[in-house]
Amino acid sequence: MAVCSTTTLSIGGSVFSGQLRHWEPNESKLFQKPRSRFRWFCLNDLYLLRFRTKTLNFNPSGSLLPSLYAYGKEADDAFLSKVNEDTDEMFDDLMKKYGEVVFRKNDRKSPSAELDDDAESLSFAVEMAKVASDVKAADIRVLFVKPLVYWTRFFIIATAFSRPQIDAIGSRIRDLAEKKYGKIPSGDAKPNSWTLLDFGDVVVHIFLPQQRAFYNLEEFYGNATLIELPSETQPPFHT
Amino acid sequence: MCIRVIGASNRRYAHIGDVIVAVIKEAVPNTPLERSEVITAIIVSTRKELKRDNGMIIRYDDNAAVVIDQEGNPKGTRIFGAIARELRQLNFTKIVSLAPEVL
Repeated sequence: MAVCSTTTLSIGGSVFSGQLRHWEPNESKLFQKPRSRFRWFCLNDLYLLRFRTKTLNFNPSGSLLPSLYAYGKEADDAFLSKVNEDTDEMFDDLMKKYGEVVFRKNDRKSPSAELDDDAESLSFAVEMAKVASDVKAADIRVLFVKPLVYWTRFFIIATAFSRPQIDAIGSRIRDLAEKKYGKIPSGDAKPNSWTLLDFGDVVVHIFLPQQRAFYNLEEFYGNATLIELPSETQPPFHT
Repeated sequence: MCIRVIGASNRRYAHIGDVIVAVIKEAVPNTPLERSEVITAIIVSTRKELKRDNGMIIRYDDNAAVVIDQEGNPKGTRIFGAIARELRQLNFTKIVSLAPEVL
């Protein structure tokens, strides 16, 4: 007799609501086993199949637990059904049990230290942009993408008109970064129609004109703030 | 369908961040790629979980790859779905910069 429905079961004092599926007729044997183990069955439909075997000696704290679920062994009234249904209540229980902050990364810096890092990266980025403009790259943009992506702070996008020019821009930027800041980029070593130099906080994109139009990164990062670059006609920039 | 995993001879499986040679078995009409075309691609998501040293495990619902050309530039202009940050360490920052979300 297969039971395929969403039902609320109360067994041994623990309340479950979940989907019970595909119970074979000899499943009734399961109910003769100690009740405390039953709560683990409804975890995940996959695991239900495992417990049809005669040996029901499994380790509750072992590898059967899916890595997503967070609950303790001693949670008596943990009703764990499909994630969509009771997640809110599960989180509330966790909050009550462990407090508001469950995990905090240790490498968060204070806001002032972050600003200093930002200023450093900004000066680096502006220097790179200046080098690019020395080699006559066109349409240089410096975008502040930190609020949008977490893995970098600034993007520099430049257009070069030929591969030797891309090569020249790339090598000059690399040399200056290494000499002055000691940073070595990862990224393209050979000139490419889209050459990318990854300095960690700052990523430099050098395009040929067709590629720039094709990939249109400025549109993708349209929400990023544009940093004004100093040139002869413009007044000094402000961050 | 994958034909070859680039990087080692006789490698059986490819994971996230591996470049593969593949042939197109099914194509959406009116796109630059056609059926039975041989392409290179880099795998960006797998149903097999990706393990990190800090214990984090990432498992996608589907296997997916980004088609790249011989220079290593993606052939398309946008990428859908979240991308694992391991691709950045493997020098595929171009794909990471086109990704809407990086995990």
